[in-house]
Amino acid sequence: MFNIILDKELREIIGTTKFAVTFGVCAVLILLAFYVGARNYQVSRQEYGAAVAENIQQMEGLTDWGSIDHRIFLPPQPLATLVSGVSNDIGRTVNMQSRGELRTEGSRFNEDPLFAVFRYLDLEFIFAIILSLFAILFGYDAVNGEKERGTLGLTFANPVPRDQYILGKIVGSFVALIVPLMIPILIGCLMLPVLGVPMDMDSWLRLAMVILAGILYFGVFLTLSVFMSTLLQSSSASLMALLVVWIFAVLIIPRTSVLVAGRSVDVPSVDQIDYEKSRFAAQLWNERMTAMQKWMKANYNDDHRQMRDGMRTFSTEQQALQDEKMNTFVEQLNEQRANKSDLRTGVALSLARISPTASFSLAASDLAYTSMELRSSYVESANAYQQEYSAFMQSKNVDYWGRYRRHGGNDDVEEPDPIDTRELPVFSYQQPPISEAIKASLPDLGLLFMFNAIFFSGAFVRFLRYDLR
Amino acid sequence: MLQLLIEKELKAILQSPKFVATFGVCSILIMLSIFIGVREYRASLAQYEIATSLVDQKVAEATSFRNMQTKVYREPDPMQIFMSGVNYDVGRLSQIQSKQDVKLEQSAYSEDPLFAVFRYIDFAFIVQVVLSLFAIVFTYDAINGERESGTLKLVLSNAVPRAKYLIAKMTGAWLGLTIPLLIPILLGLLLLFLFKVPMTGSDWLKLTTLIGVSILYFTFFIALGLLVSSLTRTSSVSFLLLLVAWITLVLIVPRGATMAAGQLVNVPTVAEIESQKDRYRTDMQQDTDEQRHNLWEQVMAPAEGLPREERRAFYQANRSAFRELAEDLQTAMEEEIAEHNRQVNEGLRNAKSEQERLAFLLSRFSPASAYKLTAMNLGGTNTSIKKRYEDQMFAYRETYNSYVAKKSQQEKKARQEAAQKSGNSRMFRMTGSGNEAVDANDMPKFIASREPVGTAIKASILDFGLLSVFTVLAFAGAFLAFVRYDVR
Repeated sequence: MFNIILDKELREIIGTTKFAVTFGVCAVLILLAFYVGARNYQVSRQEYGAAVAENIQQMEGLTDWGSIDHRIFLPPQPLATLVSGVSNDIGRTVNMQSRGELRTEGSRFNEDPLFAVFRYLDLEFIFAIILSLFAILFGYDAVNGEKERGTLGLTFANPVPRDQYILGKIVGSFVALIVPLMIPILIGCLMLPVLGVPMDMDSWLRLAMVILAGILYFGVFLTLSVFMSTLLQSSSASLMALLVVWIFAVLIIPRTSVLVAGRSVDVPSVDQIDYEKSRFAAQLWNERMTAMQKWMKANYNDDHRQMRDGMRTFSTEQQALQDEKMNTFVEQLNEQRANKSDLRTGVALSLARISPTASFSLAASDLAYTSMELRSSYVESANAYQQEYSAFMQSKNVDYWGRYRRHGGNDDVEEPDPIDTRELPVFSYQQPPISEAIKASLPDLGLLFMFNAIFFSGAFVRFLRYDLR
Repeated sequence: MLQLLIEKELKAILQSPKFVATFGVCSILIMLSIFIGVREYRASLAQYEIATSLVDQKVAEATSFRNMQTKVYREPDPMQIFMSGVNYDVGRLSQIQSKQDVKLEQSAYSEDPLFAVFRYIDFAFIVQVVLSLFAIVFTYDAINGERESGTLKLVLSNAVPRAKYLIAKMTGAWLGLTIPLLIPILLGLLLLFLFKVPMTGSDWLKLTTLIGVSILYFTFFIALGLLVSSLTRTSSVSFLLLLVAWITLVLIVPRGATMAAGQLVNVPTVAEIESQKDRYRTDMQQDTDEQRHNLWEQVMAPAEGLPREERRAFYQANRSAFRELAEDLQTAMEEEIAEHNRQVNEGLRNAKSEQERLAFLLSRFSPASAYKLTAMNLGGTNTSIKKRYEDQMFAYRETYNSYVAKKSQQEKKARQEAAQKSGNSRMFRMTGSGNEAVDANDMPKFIASREPVGTAIKASILDFGLLSVFTVLAFAGAFLAFVRYDVR
């Protein structure tokens, strides 16, 4: 019996013009998203390569390591073009120095506000907005539409168990919509390696999980629609109600909850933090100057060279001491801000997760490595690289202030050899391990699953006592 | 006759449960969006005020004019409440110092990516996405729904001209939907007074224009609904078609167009530009170093072959003259570099504006993007915000630099005198200064002039015209289709 109902439901959906139109639109959009994503990836890969190459090139010909101007860049992520997340909003460039705090700058949208106007058309957008709308379109009259047409009464004049009927309805419409959609998605996936996106095992696994999240999300809206159609008497009423729910879930709740909850937790602005840092730095500088003056008064020596050397040792010691102080201070400030900011993120995102769209977006961006974690992991990588870079600079006799320490006096220096840029340590961005991405996405996937279960059982229970007349 | 028809249409709309639902939702959303906008505006204003006062404080605490640098911030504009545009994507501030270009950096989104995750909600977003959808929900069955319920045949069997019938449909739907929407809009505007948002006269003018454009945009979707409804036989088909059209116009075309333009027009990347500038600076510096070396040899030429002691004495005597010449060389170089950088930036901007023109041209096939672009012009948050601020900040940098240069000259002179008096010039030079703060009360302030209301409105005339054309076309199409509509 279940098979017959499933079969009927499949035929009923796939045979309609509605299906042909929506499937056509979705297929085109999905393929477009994959194609454009792959093209964009290539372009950003080229840009990244050019940036790295030119960074090295502008050092060529310099004769001392102290005067180089070294930048590192965030390499484009293969999946970022399918799920852009915040990858276009965070700074991609870091000006490398051997000491002090590193700062990311030059976000894509800041450099090219044009693309910020309408944003990107990516797979996540198509799933979150368009497929959810189509799920509603196919499910809104699942039960009350049959009643309006009179077919529901006819069906149950036969010995058809209600539970099998509703089960067949939901499973049937789910299969009828998801299986065809998998075709363009699979073609799109195959396009990725052909178009030159390097996909390793990890990336495939993560992409598969993004698609799984998309399917779960689609299921939420489908079961919700069927549920709504058992709740309301007329199909036009359930469509209206579902559109309102869709607008709120997809467009309003995620945005509003972040804005409202985000502002309710007070986080000191970056300007304030910067000010405090620079103030502390100025204070340290004054302290150092006073100490130096004292030292000079105490150690005044007619032999200038000896005095200079002594002073150099002294000031380097001072500097190291103060660097330590500064670092602790900066770390403390940053940690304070990070803690508050984490709290804010927690509040805002848990509120946003009322909407399954938020859960889906967050899960997808976690899996694509384009969530807010991207920035912190990039900064972490950059900091690790800074250690390496600083050690390298020291080995090249560049002192604390970034000045090249020449051997001997100032007179009669031979023309120094140009630096060999190949010696410079190479920055590589360390992606977080895949297990972390999966772990981060699990709560959201669980939420999506739970929404499915709730709406499914709602529709099920409601239909068992549905008034067929 | 017309009046009667309009009245019937109005009654039909106002009494439908659909109306209650959409009106409720729209009212809540419009007021919510304005409320959020006001809150965000106040938050960024507070941030701006703290930031600028911190800069002032830092200047006040400075102990020397040498190497002094500052930051200037973009001031929040009350119009961003209604249309945030790219406001949060573009940097908030620029460093002002002699050797670095003016460049807006640290966008609000890059500092707090949390707010970038789901983007923004504002009045223009609600109009663009939600109201247009509701306009479709109301008119998708305007004609074919009447046919399905059999009322169309009945009405037209009386002496009712079809033209009048259609005009009445349009007017009725328009009145029934627009007038109620003005209520939450006006209530939202009350919030502006309640929260004491400093709106100037020109802001009100822009806001009125924005509301006018919003209504025009909304009207287009009503007309589109009528068009599709009179082209199709059943309401379920017209609803599906309209939904696909809505998705295409509102969500796909704008994005697709910018992405296509991005692929078609090649713009040099930031990395390329930066390294071009760096290379030029390195080359120039090498040149200048060489020139300085030659100069040095020239100056020292008379002392050639003299014993070491005399050479040193000669050097001591000519040192200040040499230094002045060398400094002149350096300044000349800096000027040339600045000129070169300006040219490079200009080239980049031209390429970008070319790309932008194409992108906006393509995207304007959709009324939704025409609406959004106008709203951004009126909100002062369009893509030119970057150029507008960077130009003004560049001009400010010039005055700032000359001020600081003048002051540090004075300071240097004063210090030299003080050092001579105390007789310990060496120590004085090495340890910098005393710790007393400088007097920088007369430092020039950065005051950005806002875009004049005329420019903003002029920039939106094109889109206004486009929206009107779209609306008229849709209505004319509906008219043609309805005149030959088979009422059976």
